[in-house]
Amino acid sequence: MLRVMLQKLWHKKWMVLCLLLGSMLLVATVVSFPLYRNAAFDRMLTDEFTNHLAETGEWPARNEMVTISKKDKGGKAISRMEEMLNGLCGNLGVNEKEKIYYYLIDKKRATSTMKRNDVGEILLRIGYLSGLPEHAKMSYGEMYSDKGISEDGAFEVVVSQTTMVSANMLIGETLEFDSFKDKNGNQIRVKVVGVFEEADRSDFYWQVKPDEMDGICLMNENVFRDYFIGEHAEKYTITATYFSLFEYEDIRAKQTDKISEYTTWLKEESPFRSTMKNLDYKDIIDSFEKKQDRIQATLFILQIPVLILLCAFLFMISGQMYDMERNEISVMKSRGGSSGQMFRLYLYQSIFLTMLGVCVGLPLGTVFCRILGSAQNFLEFNITRELAIEFTPDVWGYVIGVICASVAIMTLPALKHSRLTIVKLKQSNALRRKSLWEKLFLDVICLGVAIYGFYNFSKNSQALVEDVLQGKSLDPLLYISSSLFIMGMGLLFLRLQPLLVKLVYGIGRGLWKPASYASFTEIIKNGRKQQFIMLFMILTISLGMYHATVARTILQNAKDNAEYLVPVDIMIKEQWLDNSGSVSSTSGTSTKKEYSEPDFGKYSKMQGVDSYTKVINDTKATVSVSKDKANCTLMGIHTREFGEITYLPEGLQEQHYYEYLNKLAAEPKGVLVSRNFQSLHGLKVGDSVDFKDADDNAFTGKIVDFIDYWPGYVPATVELDAEGNVVKKDQLLIIANIAALQQKWGLTPYEVWISLENPAETDGVYQWIEEQDVHVKKFTDKDSELGKVEEDPLLQGTNGVLTMGFIVTIILCGVGYLIYWIMSIRSREMLFGVLRACGMHKGELFHMLINEQIFSGVLSIFAAIGIGSVTSKMFVPMIQTAYAASNQVLPMQLITNQQDMVRLYGVVAGVMALCLLVLIVLVFKLNVTKALKLGEE
Amino acid sequence: MENNNIIEIKQVNRIFPTAGGDFQALKDINAGIPKGVLTILKGRSGSGKTTLLNIVGALDRPSSGEVLIQGKNICKLSDTEREKLRRTSIGFVFQSVSLIPTMNAFQNVEFSMRLAGIKEGRKQRVEECLKMVGLGNRVNHMPSEMSGGEQQRVAIARAIAPRPAILLADEPTAELDSAMAAEVTKLFQEMTKTENVTIIMTTHDTGLMDAGDMVIELENGVQVTSE
Repeated sequence: MLRVMLQKLWHKKWMVLCLLLGSMLLVATVVSFPLYRNAAFDRMLTDEFTNHLAETGEWPARNEMVTISKKDKGGKAISRMEEMLNGLCGNLGVNEKEKIYYYLIDKKRATSTMKRNDVGEILLRIGYLSGLPEHAKMSYGEMYSDKGISEDGAFEVVVSQTTMVSANMLIGETLEFDSFKDKNGNQIRVKVVGVFEEADRSDFYWQVKPDEMDGICLMNENVFRDYFIGEHAEKYTITATYFSLFEYEDIRAKQTDKISEYTTWLKEESPFRSTMKNLDYKDIIDSFEKKQDRIQATLFILQIPVLILLCAFLFMISGQMYDMERNEISVMKSRGGSSGQMFRLYLYQSIFLTMLGVCVGLPLGTVFCRILGSAQNFLEFNITRELAIEFTPDVWGYVIGVICASVAIMTLPALKHSRLTIVKLKQSNALRRKSLWEKLFLDVICLGVAIYGFYNFSKNSQALVEDVLQGKSLDPLLYISSSLFIMGMGLLFLRLQPLLVKLVYGIGRGLWKPASYASFTEIIKNGRKQQFIMLFMILTISLGMYHATVARTILQNAKDNAEYLVPVDIMIKEQWLDNSGSVSSTSGTSTKKEYSEPDFGKYSKMQGVDSYTKVINDTKATVSVSKDKANCTLMGIHTREFGEITYLPEGLQEQHYYEYLNKLAAEPKGVLVSRNFQSLHGLKVGDSVDFKDADDNAFTGKIVDFIDYWPGYVPATVELDAEGNVVKKDQLLIIANIAALQQKWGLTPYEVWISLENPAETDGVYQWIEEQDVHVKKFTDKDSELGKVEEDPLLQGTNGVLTMGFIVTIILCGVGYLIYWIMSIRSREMLFGVLRACGMHKGELFHMLINEQIFSGVLSIFAAIGIGSVTSKMFVPMIQTAYAASNQVLPMQLITNQQDMVRLYGVVAGVMALCLLVLIVLVFKLNVTKALKLGEE
Repeated sequence: MENNNIIEIKQVNRIFPTAGGDFQALKDINAGIPKGVLTILKGRSGSGKTTLLNIVGALDRPSSGEVLIQGKNICKLSDTEREKLRRTSIGFVFQSVSLIPTMNAFQNVEFSMRLAGIKEGRKQRVEECLKMVGLGNRVNHMPSEMSGGEQQRVAIARAIAPRPAILLADEPTAELDSAMAAEVTKLFQEMTKTENVTIIMTTHDTGLMDAGDMVIELENGVQVTSE
């Protein structure tokens, strides 16, 4: 049987190659999904942790527990905590980074044994911090010894600088606690042997900073345990704090479930629940999981059309192959071959081809995955960060699934054919039936569902925004309705196409040349055979156009929005020193805050800087409107410099951006205010508005105009309240002249907005910050903000999936159409021979075939282009809402990249040209006598 | 005598180059066929009958020698001229069914007239021809709805419709039963009279020999008899 099969395959090597291509692409596409998903999620999770670290400066993967042990017989509370801590990382399934114990006995009164008259009694706590000798360096004196007890029997302790100062201690001094006794009933004495500080300030070991350890004396661990923990614990009140830090970079996305589950248990049900403090990582993981679910669902749904096309391709090619073998099969059947035998033959063949497909498809899948991970834009790739690709068990699950699917699809058409005998074949040849979809009105159904989806979502776009905010996974219908629309329109076209052909034929009846006449009868009578490939073409091109528009629109809008929100290349807010520290707040009189301005001249020394301007950007200002006080954002700008450095897309507002700046410039006390002052508070141009900055400096400005958009301004934010309802919050904005504000208020902290010669070259800025020792309070780098947009797994994944889908469908469409044509011509060779013998020349044969191509292929292409652009116009805004709901400020713009369309049409034209070439070759090679089996003898 | 012959075959040789050396399919064939006769081209499989028919029908060219049709050497004509000749003066009937599957009987027959550029009186002529082959009542049937014999008769009607001077039939009866074969042959005989067409028909069926006005017998590419 194997030999029969291989022989059969060899005879149809082109078909076999197509099947291989199909199953290869199917495997690669399916496998690339979990590969990319896993890798991208791992990367995203790490990013979330890293962002948290960058924003807060705190190690995000941290458990903190605090317990107070009081009159605890045998010290069970502490030993239980220690036991739990030891197993914590193991239970969470993470790698431990650092485990810190910090034990403190409650405050006790102590006096110096040196009988100094400059100090009286002081309150001190003794305790120990695990790992201290390894992480601290001594500023004065030395670390406690290994023995931990001095020769005169006092505990050796080290203290922080803060304690040293506040308790006015001396190194080498011994202090005695009056009512604090050790296990033997002796009075406890401590000897201060040194003052410590952090060996490395960036070391996350320092969860409790030495500055915060006021009045604390740290001693040797063994001595502490020996004296105060265990059987002696009963006599003391000990505050035990534990920090368990773990490596967040090692955490894989698939672990989050377990971590989250265990943490929830710890926090809510475990015996330790009351001890659990800061669990930042839980919030990070929760928000990650929410995003993950959404991304996973979105990417999967986006892949569905491509997967369907791939399956359809396999189905079509295998169907075509079996069609060619119909005669063979029916003859074999009629000679006694059983259906089972036939079926097995095809089953083995499918398995064989699928396995070959898997061999190539798996490596190809990893390539696809890399491409997905480097997608920068639609059809644009740039590898910035490699993804860690790993074949995990769930990936193998997908592999097995796709193998089964591929085998089933390839074998399915055989099931029909294996029952065929030569008699049935002849009978079925004579029958011409309506296609199933025509009878089921599948086109109408698809269109109905799609249009329902369209109206439903475009009416309830607010609900969509809420769902996105609440992290709900979106209704698949949102994504599928566009595909259904394309499908429905495609089928509808197929229903109408024969009528169109008949119409054209009817119009020119009697005038048609024999070739046209022959081709029309062919299309009218045999057109049904072509429906599949025509639908395939339509789906490919329309989906390609639609996906290109979706990808471009989503990314471009996200980028435009990011550019709007971060209107200049660099924004730096320096740390301003003020007099608040030295001005006593207890005196009761509120003193005006006075600032000292950091050196502004240093900005001229920044490398690669183009220009820069001062901007007061106070988000905590208040404004009095209609007797109420409302929060608002205050911007103080230098109009000319601000205008030069920032940019606002044209056409957003009634007047040009510069017109507004000019109005403000003309009126020193004037202010531009956001439109909601007008709509919510009924103010008009010329009204005055009172506002105060965060330091309560007041100013009265005259409204010169209202603005809808302003660089960086978000008119309204949508957020969730405590109950999870979506709340829209209007944001007020006031823009004033910086000179007027400073004249009234004196020196006011400002940000510096900087434009660079090359916006992507920010290295110079970082270097400058380092060199000039700039104390940065807030720093925004537009380039990295845009980078974040590009690397956002949802956007990148969408781009990647759509691009890969586009490439795959283009390949399929090209190969499919070509194969279909070759087969169609081959199967009609004999007919062409007859026509040639009747005196038709080759030119007429061309004419005939080209005519057929026009009414099937070319017509489909035009229909597809129409369907594609209608679909884009209808459905892209909907999809865009789903992607950019929360912080989209600018109105959505439909982005169609001409280059994409040129590429798409180019490929289609290429395929058509290739078809034409094949046609020419086949027609010229056509040997009349051979075609008619004349002279064969 | 020569001038009365519509077809004149002179010293025709046809050599096919094959892997194992040249194969001489036809050797020095000579024949003159007068107008309006039914000629049977007889011989076993591989004797070269179809090769000769192809050459006469301007589908193939002889390696040497010439074929004159109505006094014109068709071997020297260009491809376009040969196509024109096939369209207007020669009708073909092939062994295997060769109708255009997407056209019904009427359209199939009419199509050959379209190809020949006949614009007037097509409908009448098609009906006449279909009636002639006994299928006047099956005008609108598709090829797939007819039996082999019926299809072959439509093919004959198609070949005869543009009123060719010559009708070439390659084993037209091979796939038919003997009664049907006799009927087709009889049809050819009638046509030589009613249509004044010259017919060459190849066959390996010895039972049909008597039907012809003339018999040319080939054996391994060599002419055996010519009556």
